Amino acid sequence: MSSSQQPNLRLERFKAVAGNQNSILLSVLIALAIVFTLAEPKFFSVATAGNILTDWGSIVLLAAGQTLVIISGGIDLSVGGTLAISGVTSAWVMSTVLGFDITTSGSDAYPPLLVGGLVAIGTGLLVGLINAILITKLRIVPFVATLSTMGATLGFAIIISNGMPIGGPNDFSLISPINPTWMPLSWAVIGVIIVVTAVGLFLHKSRFGLHTYAIGSNSFAARAAGINVERHLTKVYALAGALAGLAGFYVYLRLGAGSPSSGVMRELDAIAAVVIGGASLMGGIGRMMGTIIGALILFTVQSGLIMAGVAPDWKKVVVAVLIAAAVAAQTLRPQNRAR
Amino acid sequence: MKEVIYEVKGVSKRYGSVVALDGASLKLHAGEVVGLVGDNGAGKSTLVKVLSGAHMPDGGQIELDGKQVSWSSPREALDAGIETLYQDSGLAPHLTVSKNVFLGREITKRGLLGKLGFLDSKAMEEKAHSELERVGIAVPASNRSVSQLSGGQRQAVAIGRAVAWARKVIILDEPTNHLGARQAGEVLQVIKEAKKKGLGVIFISHTLPHVLEVTDRIVVLRLGKVVRDAPTSEFTGDTLVGTITGTIQTIPEEDA
Repeated sequence: MSSSQQPNLRLERFKAVAGNQNSILLSVLIALAIVFTLAEPKFFSVATAGNILTDWGSIVLLAAGQTLVIISGGIDLSVGGTLAISGVTSAWVMSTVLGFDITTSGSDAYPPLLVGGLVAIGTGLLVGLINAILITKLRIVPFVATLSTMGATLGFAIIISNGMPIGGPNDFSLISPINPTWMPLSWAVIGVIIVVTAVGLFLHKSRFGLHTYAIGSNSFAARAAGINVERHLTKVYALAGALAGLAGFYVYLRLGAGSPSSGVMRELDAIAAVVIGGASLMGGIGRMMGTIIGALILFTVQSGLIMAGVAPDWKKVVVAVLIAAAVAAQTLRPQNRAR
Repeated sequence: MKEVIYEVKGVSKRYGSVVALDGASLKLHAGEVVGLVGDNGAGKSTLVKVLSGAHMPDGGQIELDGKQVSWSSPREALDAGIETLYQDSGLAPHLTVSKNVFLGREITKRGLLGKLGFLDSKAMEEKAHSELERVGIAVPASNRSVSQLSGGQRQAVAIGRAVAWARKVIILDEPTNHLGARQAGEVLQVIKEAKKKGLGVIFISHTLPHVLEVTDRIVVLRLGKVVRDAPTSEFTGDTLVGTITGTIQTIPEEDA
């Protein structure tokens, strides 16, 4: 041991880095980028990166909340519906209550937009709290509870908007934060990165995060250690809802309208990102960085396939296959890397 | 004998039509180890849950240091100095040893970050290690996750945590379950150390030789009732088995 310590240490370090979940995910991401570039050289461009990041922005917000929920041992199927109802409600308040219409321009638009953002977050928070009540008070399993709210939110999004997108001003400078100013980054994407980083820090460095892991790992032990499990789960689902509400506002900025169909199947993308990122659906395992890269992989594949000439209809099939592959890879790994 | 620190008087607990506890009473003195034994379904686990604050009894009284108390959550019992080791499920397997030791009592950073709940992981790691060593538990590394430990090491961590935090009472539900002879011996040694420090220990076990070895007094539960409460010296292995199964008739103890 003493004589061969140096090379051993180096080997150990290499193994630790190579076997690290994030390194594996990054390698997959780079490999995908190379494959798609070989298939279609135009893929390797700042414009493509900008498109991928813009798509990534909305889903990674949903996925960040989903990461917390999945680590706590639950699941939130309602995030797509929450995105839709938040975007639509926000658009409705801005256009109907605050007189936001196609003629609004310049700095007149900032106060309504600010209120709209808060309304979107508030709407998401409310849905999250309803999820929490269904799960902690009525003792409905998260899958069924959030399946119900998924249906309800998607339905309400159509009711509120009469099934049509609720538009905003024609002045495109207002939705410029979504356009990549800092190629390939936009202000909106930078904002998303800040929010997701903050949530990640809370997950990995704070008491809130530790309790989330503890509940997902062994809720009985968490309760016995004095953690108020119901109250904690309420915070987790509320935060996931608020992040989905923020994602609704992001999509509003992106489309220039609150669209009732914007949330359909988005929960699939969010769950895919989390699972590709290495979180266990059994709870207790997962990293925010994994989710962030997982979401990037998801959109790299989607936009790569489209650029390579695959029909967009195949998108959902690809996402489904990725989820299955990621879960299988997790189950088949000899020892699931514990935290 | 020292003063009574923890006592339940005539507690009852019903789950639907099932009577789990039927007027059970138990007294625990400082520096005393009380064995709680009984067949499956005798009410041991329910009594543990009442004592640890996990369940509220339907009737009866709980007294700590002679004052009547009522626990609405495990947190309240923990804060009052009562630690419980639950059978088989006391730890979160995905968390490290040190995070498990400090779960629910985390050390946070100083200043603003601390107010936001940010953890001082380094301090917890160092302290967890020293605390476990203090109570006589040797754990290889406190930064490993519990799932990477052997069954015996996990049990050692769980017991070490309970003993390290307890200020008055430790309730150990089957702490020697699944342990080898040597590890079980270490657990019994930890119990004796805790007793020396003046803690009250409630020891629940099916392994009667362990009960006879480490306890001062044995309380036998049958069908939710206390059927015998006597010094350990009054039992032999055979009479204890007989009392548990009911082949030896007992006169219900009057509350003394």
